[in-house]
Amino acid sequence: MATALPVRAQVPAAGQATKQHASWSPYDDNGGTVVAVAGDDYCIVAASTRMSTGYSILTRNKSKILRLNPKCVVASAGMQADMETLHKMLHSRHVTYQFNHRRPMSCPATAQLLSNTLYYKRFFPYYTFNLCAGLDDEGRGAVYTYDAIGSYERVGYGCQGSGKELIQPVLDNQLKAASPLVLPQQQWLSSLPLEQAVDLVKGAFVSAGERDIYTGDDVEILIITKDGIRTDSLQLKRD
Amino acid sequence: MFLTRSEYDRGVNTFSPEGRLFQVEYAIEAIKLGSTAIAVRTDEGVVMAVEKRVTSPLLEPSSIEKVAEIDDHIGVAMSGLTADARTLIDHGRVETQQHRFTYNEPMPLESLTQSLCDLALRFGEDEEGEVGMSRPFGVALLVAGWDAEGGPVLFHTDPSGTYVQYEAKAIGSGSEGAQTALQESYRKDMTLKEAEVLALSTLKQVMEEKVTATNVDIARVAPKWHLYSPTEVEEVIARL
Repeated sequence: MATALPVRAQVPAAGQATKQHASWSPYDDNGGTVVAVAGDDYCIVAASTRMSTGYSILTRNKSKILRLNPKCVVASAGMQADMETLHKMLHSRHVTYQFNHRRPMSCPATAQLLSNTLYYKRFFPYYTFNLCAGLDDEGRGAVYTYDAIGSYERVGYGCQGSGKELIQPVLDNQLKAASPLVLPQQQWLSSLPLEQAVDLVKGAFVSAGERDIYTGDDVEILIITKDGIRTDSLQLKRD
Repeated sequence: MFLTRSEYDRGVNTFSPEGRLFQVEYAIEAIKLGSTAIAVRTDEGVVMAVEKRVTSPLLEPSSIEKVAEIDDHIGVAMSGLTADARTLIDHGRVETQQHRFTYNEPMPLESLTQSLCDLALRFGEDEEGEVGMSRPFGVALLVAGWDAEGGPVLFHTDPSGTYVQYEAKAIGSGSEGAQTALQESYRKDMTLKEAEVLALSTLKQVMEEKVTATNVDIARVAPKWHLYSPTEVEEVIARL
């Protein structure tokens, strides 16, 4: 069989090399930290409101928390554009769920949906680090923590984002909660009274704000109980 | 072209001048030829009892399936063209599993019923790329289940894609007599055991043959699906 001769490769002459972009990434890290703590009958969700890129602050007032219903919220750190898209998607899925099933989506259901949503983009992931938090069907605090591609676990408390390395060990030390998966079963919800837990979260954010340049400005705090969502806030350094 | 009166019962897409869809009405008629199926709801669960027409002593009675599991919290009893029910049951099984996959929770019963009715209404459609359904389903279902929030629920669906919630419902050839009997004897505070007896005794009244462990099927959702074994059926018969 006659094969066509290979066309001779065009070797660019010196000085005429085709220009390529040095590098371009579809991803950007806009920083920020989110924390959630589950209690026996409450759940605290907190997120810093600074949005940065590199050494620049883009805004000091960007909410990272999506309130789906009075018993379930999703908080995301990472890239703002992906977070926005993910939250819009979850919001619209929540609206259609209510049309189809005549009830708000529960926290465990939202947790599974978020996992699937992330995994469907397994090979071009949303650059978001999420926490799904609220109250479960029995009214206990629920926190679900994720990686970028949807692996998730129910935990007693969680932290994601740029301040994770600073805050998580503090929570580990203060709340000492075991994974709900360990055997024999151990208490894994925070046994702290609500006010103490709020103070712990605030203290953790103040500390993170000292060292992490991406965590600052303000902290939006949601306190979820059976009576609904109460908000609180905390001012951090604006440097 | 003007159609003569008798021609309006041909197409499933054509209303008659009186505003009727004859093919759908005929499909509902087809159910009245089917074997009787009864479902009774109580606070402890839903019981379904169905008649199996064992037309020959050589027939293997266990091969007649008139009740089916959709998910472990939902079951259906059927009457009419039971072959059509296969399509609905398969659809329901996929939907409930899909719901579990997406939301990690059992599917609410009304959502499942709605989804079955959506499928039942898809007759006369030309689907893109594949052949649509040429006629309505000739089967009615009693959809019994246990909702995480609302507890036991019972729905009735028919070929028109309508669904209605019931406390107790009979479908099939003996449905008229059975429904009257249910209306007289049903109480809201029944126990599951009393409902078993009510369902089976009502079925017995409208059946031509004597009730045995081989010519009836009993199933319950309380809160999980369970199909009664012949010994369990005999135990209920003994309580009649």
